[in-house]
Amino acid sequence: MKPILLQGHERSITQVRYNREGDLIFSCAKDNTPNIWYSINGERLGSFNGHNGAVWCMDVNWDSTKVLTGSADNTCKLWDCETGKNLVTIDTRTGVRTCSFSFSGRVLALSTDKTMGLPCEIQFYDVLDPQQLRASKPFLSIPIEGSKVTTALWGPFEEYMITGHENGEMCQYDTKTGELVLSIKEHNKQINDIQGSKDLTMIVSASKDTTAKLFDTSTLDHLKTYKTERPVNSAAISPIKDHVVLGGGQEAMEVTTTSTRIGKFDARFFSLVFEEEFARVKGHFGPINTVVFHPDGRSYASGGEDGFIRVHNFDQSYFEHNFEL
Amino acid sequence: MAAGRVDSEGRKSNRSESQNEMEQEDYEEEEPDFSDPEDFVDDISDEDLLPDIFKNKPNETDGIDSVVIVDNVPQVGPERLEKLRNVITKIFSKFGKIKSDFYPVDEKNVTKGYCFVEFSSPLHAQEAVKIADGYKLDKQHTFAVNLFSDFEKYEKVPDEIEPPEPKPYQDPGNLMYWLQNKECQDMFSVIYEGGEKTCIYLNTTEPSVVEERARWTETYVRWSPNGTYLATLHLKGIALWGGVKFSQIMRFSHPGVQLIDFSPCERYLITFSPVQEPRDESESIIIWDIRTGLKKRGFFCENQSTWPIFKWNADGKYFARMGPDAISVYETPSFGLLEKKSIKIQGVRDFTWSPTDNMIAYWTSEHEHTPARVVLIEIPSRKELCVRNLFNVADCKMHWQKAGDYLCVKVDRYFKAKKTDETDQIKYSGIHYNFELFRVREKLIPVDKVETKDQVMAFAWEPTGSRFAFIHQDSPKINVTVYKMKPDGKVELLKTLEKRVANHLFWSPTGQFLVLAGLRSMNGVLEFIDTTDMTIMNQTEHFMATDVEWDPTGRYVISAVSWWGHKVDNAFWIWSFQGNLLHKQPMDRFCQLLWRPRPPTLLSEKKIKEIKKNLKKYSGLFDVEDSQKKKTASKELLEKRQQLLDEFEEYRKQKVEEYNKTRDIRIEMRDGVDTDELDSHEENFEEETIEFLVKVEEIVVEE
Repeated sequence: MKPILLQGHERSITQVRYNREGDLIFSCAKDNTPNIWYSINGERLGSFNGHNGAVWCMDVNWDSTKVLTGSADNTCKLWDCETGKNLVTIDTRTGVRTCSFSFSGRVLALSTDKTMGLPCEIQFYDVLDPQQLRASKPFLSIPIEGSKVTTALWGPFEEYMITGHENGEMCQYDTKTGELVLSIKEHNKQINDIQGSKDLTMIVSASKDTTAKLFDTSTLDHLKTYKTERPVNSAAISPIKDHVVLGGGQEAMEVTTTSTRIGKFDARFFSLVFEEEFARVKGHFGPINTVVFHPDGRSYASGGEDGFIRVHNFDQSYFEHNFEL
Repeated sequence: MAAGRVDSEGRKSNRSESQNEMEQEDYEEEEPDFSDPEDFVDDISDEDLLPDIFKNKPNETDGIDSVVIVDNVPQVGPERLEKLRNVITKIFSKFGKIKSDFYPVDEKNVTKGYCFVEFSSPLHAQEAVKIADGYKLDKQHTFAVNLFSDFEKYEKVPDEIEPPEPKPYQDPGNLMYWLQNKECQDMFSVIYEGGEKTCIYLNTTEPSVVEERARWTETYVRWSPNGTYLATLHLKGIALWGGVKFSQIMRFSHPGVQLIDFSPCERYLITFSPVQEPRDESESIIIWDIRTGLKKRGFFCENQSTWPIFKWNADGKYFARMGPDAISVYETPSFGLLEKKSIKIQGVRDFTWSPTDNMIAYWTSEHEHTPARVVLIEIPSRKELCVRNLFNVADCKMHWQKAGDYLCVKVDRYFKAKKTDETDQIKYSGIHYNFELFRVREKLIPVDKVETKDQVMAFAWEPTGSRFAFIHQDSPKINVTVYKMKPDGKVELLKTLEKRVANHLFWSPTGQFLVLAGLRSMNGVLEFIDTTDMTIMNQTEHFMATDVEWDPTGRYVISAVSWWGHKVDNAFWIWSFQGNLLHKQPMDRFCQLLWRPRPPTLLSEKKIKEIKKNLKKYSGLFDVEDSQKKKTASKELLEKRQQLLDEFEEYRKQKVEEYNKTRDIRIEMRDGVDTDELDSHEENFEEETIEFLVKVEEIVVEE
């Protein structure tokens, strides 16, 4: 089926997310205004105005009442999803690289960039405590001494946070004590994205080292590897089939010197179990920065360096495809 | 202070000898007294005092390399010594500045017939030895010039000879073992990781590794012509590998070696190194005996022209190089010049050996009123077999058909030639091309002619057969034409394929099939053609391909993107001869792929014909084998998948169980709402009306 193009962003897309029901798409880009869209027809529902810099990350809580955005303007903003009103602005000392709600939506986590001599930090706020948010005083702050956090994901019961780092490390931090519980290094270059399976028992990481890898969430045991020949910027696990989708391509800074063909800006589908690639979807003319499955698994959205968000509904043949056994 | 004293003394004595007049003036000036007090004891050594100067203190042996001894100098009395000195100085000052000379005399003051000449640098002395040795002063006197240091070297040679121990013979095993592969699978070498790793693969369904080594070579590798040896290049020289385990068979030390060339018989190896040690200038090219590892002859290379400098004939009996107005043919195993003299050819521009016969083809450029000529001569008789005069020739390129049946000379001709003033180069205009086709096997070697107006970009003979193909450009159109040589002086045009994307053409080693390739700037377009009826079997692409290589049996083609030519997507792809993609192998910084050549077949022509005739019988057998193999391969894959799936399901079962156990925790965390499934709380759903844009219509309303 013809994909739906979400046109509205003026610069490269940084993150795309669905809400839990999948009727809304949340997107942020290097321009300053994150947007909400209807996933069914691609109509824009509204924008969040207020940031003064590139917006790196965004998240929506489970009941779609609050939206969180983190930006390079050294703030993380909490919005009312229905009205688009800015509820609170959390000031940070450096740019906000990742932000997310916990499973219950009662705690929010954000991580900051390591710049201007300031260290990278993971901060935790109680969403129900307005004072904490207004004063930008987190109840827990974990300073990261080594390589900075580039992506983060909450564990299933808010007990730990999984972080991906610039040097390819992947860590588990206890969200009560701030202790480092586990640390592995299966990637040898920056981890760009970590997404969980529907039940959050498995996670898939996307790395600049041209691979995506599947891990067990609680033990971080390495299960599978999906190989490409380009940096992988994002990877997602299908909620209904044993598939993963990988998005990436030639690095943005090299794109101007290469043609689309050489860049390989396709979304690539792999068998979760066999690690074999079985399909590619063309369309973007820059690297794909973010891919995400619809919660019902019948469509997926990708956001690219080219500034477009493409929503693809799967054809019947996709659901009929099975690997020969 | 001591040093200063020595110096002033030296100066005084010097002057007293030669410059008497100056002395007077000098003494008129009053000098301060620098002498030491009488009780002064010099307890500081000169070395401590002036370490920076004493570092350069001359050594007795220092100048020795700059001294040459000249023998066979006329013996003269003191009255003619000055004249002799003048003559000798004049001869030797050509090689460099003479620092001093010495003429030993006997008791009657007559020179002893030899003298010493010291140059300012050892380089000059070597030059003098090289050139002045053998210099004829007059009828009785021919100079023998030697380095002074050489005398010492030869004096030290012990009187008794110690014969060198014969090296015990090491059995390298069966060097031809790889030809015994039952399925006739071929090997190829691959260099990757930017040259860090070298690997030998066997071309099975999926190439399998035979041998892999890190840092096997420092630049690239080469197979010997029959595939027996693999040569690796190192800073210090060449190593040859072979046998079942690819063990080292021989080493040849040649520092800085860059280019190598095997003789077709695999007996000799020529190496070239641009690094020249000052004393061994003759060794920039060395010819080695592969089996003994001994150096057979070294050559001096004046100017590096195109490699190979030495060209071998088909069986390795002769090799030849081109000099100014001459071709020098050498013979093995003596490595001497054939009949002790070169073949004089005025204005020779290029030459090639026939790939099968002892025959050389060369061409000479136009010179004043003599036309350009293409000549075939027989070696060793030097008999001219065929001469072709050509006019208005700008350039010629000679292409032999691999079986030696035909020779094609591509002649670039012009309508007008103009000398440009400043560079003295000749500028040609109205260039057009023709092919002079020599039928070498026929009586008197008749020559046919094919003309084209377009620029010829590539030309190639069918290796076994009588067809040839060339790419010609009538810009911007690129066309490919195939001709066939017919008996009785006919050359038949088979077909011209118009508007192609190609800059290279590759014939299958067994003929018939042709691959057109648009390499590098043409994005890697590939076209597989069957020339029997000129059908295009497949048009495809290996994006950005830099190389195409047929396997030695003509069954497979490999296209590759080399890191040397293109920095990303380095990989090699294996195709069938029909252009079906069989396998893709991406490799990190893949550099070079070379098929291991095969020796010529041992089957007689009759036998080959017989096999061809009964091909159906054999092909049936092979088909069965192939399908069998395919079955096992797909069976293996399916088994692997099944195993992976079983393992994964086992893991998932456990996880799902855990997940289901914790359902209550999740519901509690989300305020009593069950969110495990999308539709698990339908009561919360809201109806919403949405609009879809179905059609856009524009109606112009009349104003």
